[in-house]
Amino acid sequence: MLVYLRKRILSSALPLVAVIVGVFALARLTGNPANLYLPLNATDQMRADFTARHGLDQPLLTQMADYFGGVLRLDFGESLRTGESAAAMALRAFPATLQLAATTMVLAIVLAVIVGCWAALKPNGIADRISSFVSMAAASIPDFWLAIVGIWIFAITLGWLPTSGVGGASAWVLPIATLLLRPFGVLVQIVRGAMVSALSEPYIKLARSKGAGDVRVVTHHALRNAAAPALTVAGDLTVGLVNGAVVVETIFGWPGIGKLMIDSILQRDFAVLQAAVLLTAIAIFVLNILIDLGYALLDARVRPATVKA
Amino acid sequence: MMSSSPSAKRQLRLQIPVVVAGSALLLSGCSVANSEDTAGATAGAASDTLRVVLQQEPPTLEACEANLTSTGVVVRSNVTQPLIERNPTTGELEPLLATEWEATSDTEWTLKLRDDVKFQDGTDFNAEAAAYTIDRAVNSDLGCNVEGYVFGDTDLEVEAVDATTLTVTTPEPDPILPLRLSFLEVVPTSTSDTEKVREPIGTGPYKIEQWDAGQKITLSTWDGYWGEAPAFPKAEYQWRGEGTVRAAMVTSGEADIAMGLGPDDGAGDLGVNYPNNETIGLRLSGDTAPLDDIRVRQAINYAIDKEGIVASLYQNKDKVAAQLIPEGVVGHNASLEAWPFDLEKAKALVAEAKADGVPVDTKITLVARNAQFPKVTELSQVLQEQLAQAGLNVELKMTETSQHLQYQIRPFVEDQGPIALLIQHGNQAGDAAFTVEQYMLSDGAQSSFGTDEFDQRLLEAGKTSGADRQQAYEDIFTYQNENVVQFATIAHQTGILGKSAAINYTPNSSSGDELRLTEMTPAS
Repeated sequence: MLVYLRKRILSSALPLVAVIVGVFALARLTGNPANLYLPLNATDQMRADFTARHGLDQPLLTQMADYFGGVLRLDFGESLRTGESAAAMALRAFPATLQLAATTMVLAIVLAVIVGCWAALKPNGIADRISSFVSMAAASIPDFWLAIVGIWIFAITLGWLPTSGVGGASAWVLPIATLLLRPFGVLVQIVRGAMVSALSEPYIKLARSKGAGDVRVVTHHALRNAAAPALTVAGDLTVGLVNGAVVVETIFGWPGIGKLMIDSILQRDFAVLQAAVLLTAIAIFVLNILIDLGYALLDARVRPATVKA
Repeated sequence: MMSSSPSAKRQLRLQIPVVVAGSALLLSGCSVANSEDTAGATAGAASDTLRVVLQQEPPTLEACEANLTSTGVVVRSNVTQPLIERNPTTGELEPLLATEWEATSDTEWTLKLRDDVKFQDGTDFNAEAAAYTIDRAVNSDLGCNVEGYVFGDTDLEVEAVDATTLTVTTPEPDPILPLRLSFLEVVPTSTSDTEKVREPIGTGPYKIEQWDAGQKITLSTWDGYWGEAPAFPKAEYQWRGEGTVRAAMVTSGEADIAMGLGPDDGAGDLGVNYPNNETIGLRLSGDTAPLDDIRVRQAINYAIDKEGIVASLYQNKDKVAAQLIPEGVVGHNASLEAWPFDLEKAKALVAEAKADGVPVDTKITLVARNAQFPKVTELSQVLQEQLAQAGLNVELKMTETSQHLQYQIRPFVEDQGPIALLIQHGNQAGDAAFTVEQYMLSDGAQSSFGTDEFDQRLLEAGKTSGADRQQAYEDIFTYQNENVVQFATIAHQTGILGKSAAINYTPNSSSGDELRLTEMTPAS
């Protein structure tokens, strides 16, 4: 296990550095942010002072060397916009996104397994058709539209839920429902396909011939073999959620990392953007390791190639 | 079957932490740090807390950045106060922390200050604090936003003559110095002059109680305030990027005031219109063919159906504009009429220019900024079509803010050909000087061209005061429309503020930048 982890860390270091360098360089190609931070009628001298104060007048390589020097000292710089520590801003925002994404994915997986298994028991039956329709629709609905409609129905018309914000359980319902629909729709399709395949295997027929009922056949025999592809897709979807909850965070005023990144891009807040990207990249790296471990737990054929490697 | 094997036991050991971690995340999923339940927050004006929802979180509450909209809307007149304040309705300057002021020489102003004011930290407000505030914001290396916005490179000499007397000396005569001073929010001498301060101490009726970064800011009243206590002991600011959500928060009772709404955001009867001093129009690059021909620029003015735009896109809430500043700003020319919509005349002018060899077929790029104001995309498409109907070749380019600024502020992006830039100009200062020096001087930071004669007129106008100043700037707007035609102004905009029925408040032209909580009271 430790050997495996060491290999994964080493193999991930290069992509991490590439991501940081890429974000650093690309962000600065978009130009000097002085115009964004100073009044429109600021003088040339003020623009020059701003540029010099933030080291933006230095050659790109000098700026990059300073940045990497800072990273080694765990100093990620200060936000141009707020003057706060960039690392503190990213670390403050990240748990909010992680909680949202994790809760959403756990619910999506549980619901998708239930619905997918139900549909797979009788392919082309009424349950299968209903679940296919629902899951296809769920995977296709734009989250922006869904969020606004959800607010209109449940917050304004019915008054059951708050429109937005963070806080008690009721504030989580609309953001999670909005985020949940797409991964749920995709996962239902995956689980259903994998279960249909698994349920047609000879060992299932053997189990049934021994008198096992539908529930036992699904939970004790077929689901384990159908879980591996679902886990892989769920992992990709989780990465997407961690990285892409921007719309939901923006609409619902959720103080997460996605909104922080978008704001940083629009405001050319380089230090915060770099800190947020780095933190997200590390989180995705950890997530991928967890997915590998989970995959190995589920499928003995891949275990030697990953966990024992 | 599986649970009895050694490998299954190992798997179980691995599964436990995964399950525990998942459960912890699920459980923790019911709270975000520092958050409170917002679902039951329906008290509104019936409670002691006034709830305001903004477009974005303030980047800072630093007093010398208070001219930033998202900062000023929270701190100005609520947490901090200026020496002098401008009445947004009459345009007159009124006493606040200063009781009177006069020009004691061409370059010196003397201000008398109140002697009964304390800061929220218990220290006295006096001339020393006022002098420190000016020195810190204008003369220091802090890079304060208000310095660039109001004072430019000009340094001021300040002296606290005694506890209640302050003199301010300018390098050149400045007839509108009191107006400029109205932008400075006063802070105590304990405020750092080497670093900006995110949470300032002021003399206003509210102090900053708590700032939960990313979520909300809470203000509360304090006992030592020198003026009349506000009706609401607390104020809470949240922020939502979507106008529809801000409007929904007011209609659902989650907020009392929603800022920056558009006509289609759904506030319904709770949407209140107010003049926001913003004007939209096209700025034409008169140094590049075919826009270097005044007939083409005139044709653009004739080709735009301003009444139609205001009626169809803005529900007749905006007003057709003849100049870059609205009524209420010093220098506004009330007798100046907007260019009439006359497509035939526009076509004739283009044809005439073409006959004289002007390359009217050259592609003109109409540059606009996404989400700059409500229906900016639709307006841009209408303008493109109407200019095309006049016989011009127009391509629309929608940009984001940073790109747009490359077209808006000198040095302009080069080799882009003729540009018609869709601008939104807000004159919150209340004096035409803040507009014309930027937009009309030949080398103005946001001006694409000018003439020597016009420059001379502009500079002379800046030295005048009183009625002469009003007349000088009125003449300048007339001259612009008749002889320069750098702009095709379209409309003076109307802001929309969502207001709960439980609140009494009448927004004014400065509400978007300075939301005075003391002017809000419970409706019953």
